Amino acid sequence: MWDYFSWSVAVRNLRHNTRQSLLTVGIVSTSVTLIIFLTALISGLERRLLTNVTDAIAHIIIRPTERLPIPAWKLPSIKQADVLYVGETIKLEQRKRKIEEWPTWLSRLENYDPEVLAVSPVVEGQGILSRGEKRKGVLVTGVIPERHNLVVDLQSKLVRGRFFGLNAGEVTLGWKLAEEFALQLGDKVRLVSSDDMAASYTVAGIFDSGFGAVDSSTVFLPLRDAQSMFGLGTAVTSIGLKLDHIFEADNIAGRLAMQVPYEARSWMQDNQSLLSGLRAQSQSSDLIVVFTTVAAGLGIAAILVMVVVSKLRELGILKAMGATRGQILAVFAIQGTLLAVIGGIVGSAAGVALCLFLSRFRSAASVTGRLVETFPMNLTVGIVAQAIFIALAVGFAASLYPAWRAARVNAIEVIRST
Amino acid sequence: MSAPAPAIELRSISKTYHDGVPTPVLFDINLRVMPGEFAAVVGASGSGKTTLLNIIGLLDTPTEGEVWLGGRNVAQLTDLERSNLRRDYLGFIFQFHYLLPEFNVLENTLMPCRLRGKIYRDRREGDMAELLRQVGLGERLTYRPSQLSGGQQQRVAIVRALANDPVIILADEPTGNLDSVNGKAVFNLMRELNRLTHKAFLIVTHDEAFAREADRAVHIRDGRIINGNDE
Repeated sequence: MWDYFSWSVAVRNLRHNTRQSLLTVGIVSTSVTLIIFLTALISGLERRLLTNVTDAIAHIIIRPTERLPIPAWKLPSIKQADVLYVGETIKLEQRKRKIEEWPTWLSRLENYDPEVLAVSPVVEGQGILSRGEKRKGVLVTGVIPERHNLVVDLQSKLVRGRFFGLNAGEVTLGWKLAEEFALQLGDKVRLVSSDDMAASYTVAGIFDSGFGAVDSSTVFLPLRDAQSMFGLGTAVTSIGLKLDHIFEADNIAGRLAMQVPYEARSWMQDNQSLLSGLRAQSQSSDLIVVFTTVAAGLGIAAILVMVVVSKLRELGILKAMGATRGQILAVFAIQGTLLAVIGGIVGSAAGVALCLFLSRFRSAASVTGRLVETFPMNLTVGIVAQAIFIALAVGFAASLYPAWRAARVNAIEVIRST
Repeated sequence: MSAPAPAIELRSISKTYHDGVPTPVLFDINLRVMPGEFAAVVGASGSGKTTLLNIIGLLDTPTEGEVWLGGRNVAQLTDLERSNLRRDYLGFIFQFHYLLPEFNVLENTLMPCRLRGKIYRDRREGDMAELLRQVGLGERLTYRPSQLSGGQQQRVAIVRALANDPVIILADEPTGNLDSVNGKAVFNLMRELNRLTHKAFLIVTHDEAFAREADRAVHIRDGRIINGNDE
């Protein structure tokens, strides 16, 4: 079917009808450029969103199981005769949610799975930050900075001061918080914990994590300071884990939950809305690709149908001369496919060039002057290969109808109709 | 010594079109054309002569009767075999030349050879160039069809019909689109090629003058042969 006749006639048609060929190549290459650009951009935006979130939090957090309320009828019997009176309250022994034997767990968790890249003990609690008359509820987070930075990178996001080597009595906090309290490095602030322990701290560092909630309400301080602030002794409230592949979090958290006496929550459980948003975005990206593909396909088909209609008589004569249906079909299938190949190559070159060009632009993401890519491109070989494959498939598929029409030409009808 | 097999043999051919109402076009046609013969089918417009040519050329099928080409009953052939028979056994000349504008004069004459592959096409190139020289187009081998006059274009179409060295050439009103001078020249050319190549020619025409110059004129009226029905 794909014989010398079909190839030579198809190639000659393309070369001779330069304008038609260029127009079709233009349609295909524009579509391929668009597919590459949009896919790389949407995928880049997705990656940025995900990275923003997953860089700012631990991928898995291990913490003591939350105590659920116990129904009255399940309470242990304290009074005689197991009678509980309406209006009576029972003061159960207060138990802090804490992990005492965390140093043992750290080494176990580090070696738990090759996916686990880093582990960090954390003390978290609510506190009030105050300076002069101003007060604000904040999340007080005690960490070992060098270790914690392997789980959540803050060091590289410092705007001023330091995070590593925080001394007792020093804090590092978000830039929005610093702005709200008009804080400079070396300024003193006061922190009151929910356990009513108060202490004065010196601002040693200010960071811009890119994550609004963290920048406006989190205060980092050395682990020991936090332990004493919340009266935990040597215990911590949670352990954060960083993974190699973020989407393994659910799987690993699920396994961990069965093997440690604590609750293991993955970031995916806590960010369902983000994930469903990303899924919707990914689907809309697929839709754009589908529509662009269909538009390109219709463009090629329309031009080839025009060619077939304008060549009906020549096709009739070729059939009278003994050209088989297969040979005529192949002439147009080859034309469509060749146009798509050329359009695919030109379009990918243009798409890659456009992505590389746009990825050079940077713009400020916040008032701290932190720069991010204006167009976060995630250009991969896979995206380019997919676009070329789509172009090829579309070119071939779009040529089938015109080719089929051409092959069905009835020699007598077209000769007689002259 | 036995007589050679006819190049074409039609046995009791009838044709009825069924476009809504049945329209009979040909009735009980019997015709034999021998190799090397120069025959004309003459008739008025609507007499059924083009339908007859289409049936012989395997572009149409008879409602009744048998078509034999080179001793083979074509009713028993597959689609592919019919295509191959059209390509190798028959040559076609139509009222309009239908040359492909993308190809030059020599390439157009080689189009039927192209259908048989590159090796065959390359082997025939010299012969076709020589034929084009013989018909006076030796200087125009690389011209595009659009650069030729109507008479020249039809001469190219005639040479093209000879490309695959067919046994018989079917011509449907080959002079119908030309003025009388060019028409006469084209007719003479076919006659000349018949003498030179010994190919059989079956020419459908409404021109009595041409018919008189053929070896044999078969007259057809209202779908019936009125002289020369080979029963």
